[in-house]
Amino acid sequence: MRVAFVVLALSGGAGVAAYLFLWAMTPEGQVDGSGPLTATTWSERRRWSVLLAAGAVLVIAGIALLVPGVGVSARGSVLIPVFVIAVGAVVAWSNLDQTQRSRWLTGGRDGMGWVRVALGTVLAIVGILVLVTRGSSVSVLWDAVLAAFAVLAGALILAAPWAVRLWGDLRREQVAAARATERADIAAHLHDSVLQTLALIQRQSADPAAVTRLARAQERELRTWLYDGPQGSQSSLAAAVTEVAHEVEDLHGVPVDLVVTGDRPFEQHGAALSRAMREALLNAVRHGSPPVTAYVEIGPGGVEAFVRDRGAGFDIDTVPEDRLGVRQSVLGRMQRHGGSARIRQREDGTEVELRLPPIEGEES
Amino acid sequence: MTSQSTPATPAPIRVVLVDDHRMFRTGVRAELTEAMAGGGAVCEFVGEAPDVDSAIAVIRKETPDVVLLDVHLPGGSGNGGGDVIRGCVGVETATGTPVRFLALSVSDAAEDVIAVIRAGARGYVTKTINARDLVTAIRRVSDGDAVFSPRLAGFVLDAFGAAAGEIAEVDEELDRLSAREREVMRLIARGYQYKEVAKELFISVKTVETHVSSVLRKLQLSSRHELTAWAMGRRLV
Repeated sequence: MRVAFVVLALSGGAGVAAYLFLWAMTPEGQVDGSGPLTATTWSERRRWSVLLAAGAVLVIAGIALLVPGVGVSARGSVLIPVFVIAVGAVVAWSNLDQTQRSRWLTGGRDGMGWVRVALGTVLAIVGILVLVTRGSSVSVLWDAVLAAFAVLAGALILAAPWAVRLWGDLRREQVAAARATERADIAAHLHDSVLQTLALIQRQSADPAAVTRLARAQERELRTWLYDGPQGSQSSLAAAVTEVAHEVEDLHGVPVDLVVTGDRPFEQHGAALSRAMREALLNAVRHGSPPVTAYVEIGPGGVEAFVRDRGAGFDIDTVPEDRLGVRQSVLGRMQRHGGSARIRQREDGTEVELRLPPIEGEES
Repeated sequence: MTSQSTPATPAPIRVVLVDDHRMFRTGVRAELTEAMAGGGAVCEFVGEAPDVDSAIAVIRKETPDVVLLDVHLPGGSGNGGGDVIRGCVGVETATGTPVRFLALSVSDAAEDVIAVIRAGARGYVTKTINARDLVTAIRRVSDGDAVFSPRLAGFVLDAFGAAAGEIAEVDEELDRLSAREREVMRLIARGYQYKEVAKELFISVKTVETHVSSVLRKLQLSSRHELTAWAMGRRLV
């Protein structure tokens, strides 16, 4: 292959451009199937820059060939068909990357892919014809067309079973590799999380509070991993308040039962609410007694959050300093952000209510 | 907690425990026995089973009042607790009431919860529930009432679009909650016991139970897209 290009390069420098072009267009790194993902994205970017460079070289070569008029009439008749063939081949081959092959095998049809392959094939055939029948008559041309088709059809028939088998093998390998990777991922995750926690629990088995906290944190982590999929905490209010509740749980080892309905994007008012809720939760786990429950309802009418504990409640007057802190960080904060907060003393505990109006422009 | 107006000496509630983890079964029995030590035997364990097929056999033989049912179980046609409930359709206790199911699960996934409820369970609690609450839940289910955990209430509010403000025009509408049902669900999601809900809304505990049962009925019968989609995920429809 490369030899051919070297020869081409000698005959006018166009081969260099063609080589670069082909190198850039041909899908790479897919044969071994285990190539790291980051490498392909990187080479994608590299490919574009190479394409640009190749285009520039082609343009310069074209100008150099045409403008001085050196041997255009003599060489053009050879070079142009060769170019056409090369371009056709590149267009056809560049599409036969692995993903497409497997898609064909599984039955899905990509219209654009077919069109490109067909276009490439036609270009190549035309190029071959022009090259072969240079200066011949129409009847010879007709024979050549038939011959070309016959050769192509024959090659196709010979190659088809082999190609199909190769694609099948590739696909099987891919599936096996994907399975192995997934298994390895799961094993790695369990090792890093569950096994470590179990070891910690064994070591601290004398301390029930620590065991509970570890078990709870591990349970939550595993649950997130199992049911929420790979995405971490995103920029949503529901994710933010969930994170806050988990943080408080971790800090004090008191379970917080959080229920969230609805969701909305995370913005500064939501951030204020989640910070105020953090204060309320901290207060609940410090002064109240479990179970601590929290409910956040995010709807078109605004956000409502409730934090509730079952403690005996505490008298506002007996702990003025602390209450003042709560007033500042909960009540003041909510009011600054257009919301409100209310602390209700109930006979069997305290409930903090936080409210936020809907995001402007989204009111229903 | 003690809102039930229990008769003087009620017959103990006959319970079958279905869970594929032996350790968990032992744990629940021990905890419940301990919790009941003070207040007399409320429940009596009459059997347990580790998988779908033996569960159906035990339930048909013992005809218990309440079955504590794990959501994920081996055997059957692969739908765990739902298969047990469907395998026991029409089984009645000695007194002629149908056998009732209370789902007990570690899973918080909506499709699991909704799946067992739609298969016919009268309630859903997580395995982290404390023993006292579990006894209350068992008693409530045996009385034919529904048991909603805060999380299940949250699911219901989400699934019926109640959190987004959709409210039924008529109470009988199956695909939406009525305003009152929404209020009750919201309070349960906030961690209120039935008694506290009743006090908050100035209604009787019985009325709260009626609302919750009506929500359960809607949950089981509604053809709302969200619910059928979840059920489809568990091959229930």
